[in-house]
Order: sequence, then C-alpha cells, then structure tokens
Amino acid sequence: MGSMATDLTAIALSLLLVVVAIGISFRRKLHLEKELVVAATRAMVQLFILAALIRAVFASLGLTSLLLIVMLAAATFTSARRLVGVPGSTWVSGVSIAASSGFALIVLFALGIFEPEPRVIIPVAGILIGNTMTATSLAGARMRDELTRNLADIESRLALGVRLKIALAPYVRTATVNSLIPTIDATKNVGLVTLPGAFVGMMLGGASPVLAAQVQLIVLFMLLGAVSLAAMIATILVVRRYRTEGERIVVSESLPL
Amino acid sequence: MAGRVPPGSPDPAGPILAADHISLSRGGRTVLHDVTAGFQQGAVTAIVGPSGAGKTSLLRCFNRLEQPERGTVRLEGSDIRALDPTVLRRRVGMIFQTPVVFEGGVRANLAYGLEQSSDDDLAGALEAAGLPASFLDRAATALSVGQAQRVCIARALVRRPQVLLMDEPTSALDVDASRVVEALIARLGSSGLTVVLVTHDLAQARRLSRRALLLSAGEVVGEGSMDVIEAAWGAWPRT
Repeated sequence: MGSMATDLTAIALSLLLVVVAIGISFRRKLHLEKELVVAATRAMVQLFILAALIRAVFASLGLTSLLLIVMLAAATFTSARRLVGVPGSTWVSGVSIAASSGFALIVLFALGIFEPEPRVIIPVAGILIGNTMTATSLAGARMRDELTRNLADIESRLALGVRLKIALAPYVRTATVNSLIPTIDATKNVGLVTLPGAFVGMMLGGASPVLAAQVQLIVLFMLLGAVSLAAMIATILVVRRYRTEGERIVVSESLPL
Repeated sequence: MAGRVPPGSPDPAGPILAADHISLSRGGRTVLHDVTAGFQQGAVTAIVGPSGAGKTSLLRCFNRLEQPERGTVRLEGSDIRALDPTVLRRRVGMIFQTPVVFEGGVRANLAYGLEQSSDDDLAGALEAAGLPASFLDRAATALSVGQAQRVCIARALVRRPQVLLMDEPTSALDVDASRVVEALIARLGSSGLTVVLVTHDLAQARRLSRRALLLSAGEVVGEGSMDVIEAAWGAWPRT
C-alpha cells in the first residue's frame, strides 16, 4: 500500500460510491440518506478506533488475553439470548463456544500451522468465536425446539423401551445438520459463488493469490472442524439440560444446574 | 362426591402392578396425592375420572415417564426403580391417546429399537392388533388414525409386554375405529394380558372392564367393581 495520505485519498474517493447510494436513495425516495451517512461515518470511526486499539493490543499478550475474554463473553451472551427457555443457556453457550474455538486454536498453534503471536491469535480467534457462536445458536435453539415440539413422538419411542440416546437420535441429527449447512455450503461453493474474507483481504493486502488460497483453505478447514464441534457440543449440552434420571426428558420445568 | 369406597376382595396372587402411596407434583401443583392401587394380572382395569384428575399422570408413573416424589410403584412385587427403564418399558407397554407412527414403513415401526425381529413375529403382532400381515409393507404415513393406533398396539405387543397401559386409546378415533379398538382391547384382556385403561368414558370402562379405579383431583376416591364406581360418584353421567 502507498503512503497514509494516499490511503486517505483512496478512502475519500471510495466514499463517492456512498454518494451514489445516497443519490439513488434521494431519487427513488427511499429515505435512506441519513442512515447511509450514519452507517458510513460509524464504519469509519469504529474501524479507526479498532485499528488504534489493535495496534496497542498487538504489543501486549495481557491485552490480547483480555480481548479474547471480551470476545468470548460477547459471543456467549449473544448466543445465550437465542437459547431462551433452555435452563442454564449462558453456560451451554459459553462451554460450546469456548471448547470448540479453544480446541481449534490449540490444534492450529500446537501443530505450527499459525504463529502464536497476537497479530495472528486475535483474527483467527475472532473468526472461530464468531462462527462457533452462530453454530451454537443454530444447533442449540433447534435442539430445544425439536425436544419441546416432538415430546409426544419422543415419549412414544421411549415407551417402546429404547434408550433416550436412541430415541433422540433423529432430533439430534436434524439440529446438528441444520446448524452445519451454512458452513458446508460456504465451503463447497468457495471460489464459485463466494470469495471469502481471508482470501479477499490477503489479495487486497498484496499477497499472491496462491498464498491467499492457502490461508483461506486453512481457515475453511478450521471452521469446518470447529463449527461441527460446536454444533455437537451444543446439542449434547441442551439435551443434558432436559434429560433426567430414568431415561426420560422433562421439558415443562426448568431443571436446576 | 362420595367418600372412598373400600377395595374389593384381594387377589390371593397379589397384583401384578401396584402403586404404593405415590405422590407427584408438577410446577408446584399436586398432581397425585398418596395414591395406592393394585392391578390384577390378566384383567382389564379402568382408571376413570374427570379431566385433570391425574389419570394420565398415574399411568405415566407405571412406566417411569413420570417419577413420583414419594411412594413406590411395584411390578410383580419389585420396585420398578430397581429395573433398567428400557427393560421396564418393554415389560410395561404404553399406548398413547394420539397414535404416533415414525417415519418409514409399518415393518420399521414395529421393529423399532429391537435388536432382532422376524417377519413372523411382526406379522403375529399385527394380527393380534387386528391388521393383516400385508400391512407390514405399508408406508406408516398412509395409515388412517384408527389403523395407526392399531399399528401402535402391534408395536407394543411385539415386545411381549406383561402389562399394557392405554391412555384414552380411542379418544382420537371416529366411532367406527373406536369400536374396532375397543373389540381389540377386549380380546387382549381375554387373552390374559394385563391392561390398564385410562378413560373419561364410564360407559367404555363398563364395556371393557369389571373393575376400576376412580380418581378425582389426584386422589383415589373409589376402587372396585363398576357398580361400586358408579355408586361412588353419583353425579357421573350414566350412558
């Protein structure tokens, strides 16, 4: 990239496209002009602040750890809100996101795939936490819905003398598959339909397409693993919140932790 | 409402299934209070009572779909908590108010969860439930509600239960299908199977069983012959 002044000029010029959007909004009476100005301004301010913060964080392992905790906490509470009705939903979300992201991070750094330094840890952890958060919300909420909506079916299965694990198998499968489809489809269609973030970012940053593709593949594979793990952990934990002794589930009342 | 009617003469062999002072509450509300009852082997015994009396909850305690907070349920004299729930539920089958058939064919439904099963066994269970063996190849989703209920009964019978719990098994069926299922229950009873039938229909209880238990507000308020039960609750509509 060129000098700072050149970059600021580039940003200013790219704002012309926002002006085009504002023009369309004005012409078509969409009344989005104010929203567009606010969105563009917020994006600039937030990203400049983020850049300044990250420069400080990159220099400190302590700040890196703190940022990871903040990211994990934000993801946990966001996901827990999707799991309303599940007893101990915050615990379910937190364990699922932390365990799946943590496992993927340990594998990536232990095998030397990425260097364990702040400028790598933060973006990689961010991608992992964001994606496992979505998988946890999708899988956990679907599992809750499957259990509560299909209680008659599940009890019909249990009454035939099968283990709870067997009786719940079709519902666990549905919940897990449902949460994995977005990641699997994104992986299948990479390069055909979508140009994913890591690839685009590296290309814009001046990296060779081959290197960008290599990094993108690592990101996709780590996401497949982490998201699958998150979906599995979330469904197991949600079932555990509803199961009770005697090979049965109780969905009408909250169970103590 | 009349007071509790003394139980009839005890069976010297003792009941095959018994509730011993069981109490159950749900969400802070008492559902069953100190219920004691016995069910004789090889008989159809009805549990009757108004809506919300706790009939279904009591039935669900017998195969541990509910766990009473107090008291004991015994099968052949042994506390059912000592049994693996999967073993208990094969010995004590259950038919629900609304039949639930699983995806796939009737054969897969009958064989669901069984380690091994022969077509002869499955066809035998279907015939015992009043359906021809040709139904094995039917899609479960193509069945009428009455046929689905009979497939559910066959699915329980394949497991050769000692006791069959039936929770309002005809209430989701039309008149004709109800008659068919009632005839089937009578046949199962006379074949020596122990049947515990929950019904809100006293006339049906009278048609199918000689003894009944009357529940009201979670308590046993009558137990004995159908005449005794009717006398116990004079306000009961006589049909």
